Amino acid sequence: MILIYFLFFYLLVLIQTSFLIHFNIFGIIPNFVLISALILNLFERPEKNNGILVAAFGGFFLDIFSEKFIGFQTLILLGMAVFIKLILKRYVRIQIIKKI
Amino acid sequence: MSKKNKILIIVIGILLFLFLNFFQKEIRNFFYKISEPIQRVLWGAGDRVSGFFETITKINKLKKEADELKLKNQELLAKIAFLEELKKENEILREALNIELQKEFTLSFAQVLGKDSIKDSILIDKGSKDGISEGFPVITQSRVLLGKISEVYQNFSKVSLISDKENSFDAKIQESEIYGVIKGKGSLKVFLDLIPQDKEIREGDLVVTTSLGGIFPPGILVGQIGKVGKSDILPFQEAEISPMFSLNEVEKVFVILEY
Repeated sequence: MILIYFLFFYLLVLIQTSFLIHFNIFGIIPNFVLISALILNLFERPEKNNGILVAAFGGFFLDIFSEKFIGFQTLILLGMAVFIKLILKRYVRIQIIKKI
Repeated sequence: MSKKNKILIIVIGILLFLFLNFFQKEIRNFFYKISEPIQRVLWGAGDRVSGFFETITKINKLKKEADELKLKNQELLAKIAFLEELKKENEILREALNIELQKEFTLSFAQVLGKDSIKDSILIDKGSKDGISEGFPVITQSRVLLGKISEVYQNFSKVSLISDKENSFDAKIQESEIYGVIKGKGSLKVFLDLIPQDKEIREGDLVVTTSLGGIFPPGILVGQIGKVGKSDILPFQEAEISPMFSLNEVEKVFVILEY
């Protein structure tokens, strides 16, 4: 599973930086790596930690294809994932999340 | 997970990032090298697909533009005929005065592979192995300024576009002595700042580089003046610049090695 996530995010970052960069919606290019990591963290069971791993992979590959220091976007995505997990664990009780 | 394990993971993470940043050039070069074929295909595909959709959405605008261009073309043809005459005259005078022809640039041809998702910077497939160094100017096929090399890897380089927030350089309005400073504002936006209040600039004026500052060779096209911001309380005027390149259409670029 880890390998699948790793490859998926590697390909997603390549698509993001070389293909999707050509399409902007009202001047904004949506970051699908961020969106994917966000969705996975939101809909994953709060006790599972795959979302954090995915955020780390996504951030790492975004860093590789970016000019900032390695770790910049990894930390942003990891921070987002941990924050979502924390909120879901402590404050949100939705039955549907448990089912998924 | 116990507190000890958590601290251990954080320490390992920090050490890993330090290691990655220490060898970042080699690591990035490795990933760029293995990704190059896929990126090349994706960039080309993105270019074609976005071009197709753009044509559909802009069909009316294109019609208008085509009419305007036809008119402009006629004007330019007349100008070319006039310039051809001048060229002949110039050549005769050069020969007569024994003036050396201006040195052409030494160029290196490169292919665009990708764009940074957070900065105005692109990745090209030429690096230190091809004689590229930091600060080298990058232009398009039509000699329009794109930016300068900001980072060099063994086989690849990053080009910081003129719209990048960290970029600023001297420029002037073509065929006039109005000087200003080009400043990148990010998101492919460029401004011409520090234009004296008493100078009159018009929308559509062309902006070119100057030899001041020594970053770029003089006379390279930067863009066209857009909206001019003039205020009595401010000491200078500021004008929006529409770059003469569209990132969607830029596929091949030239790095100026010598000028």
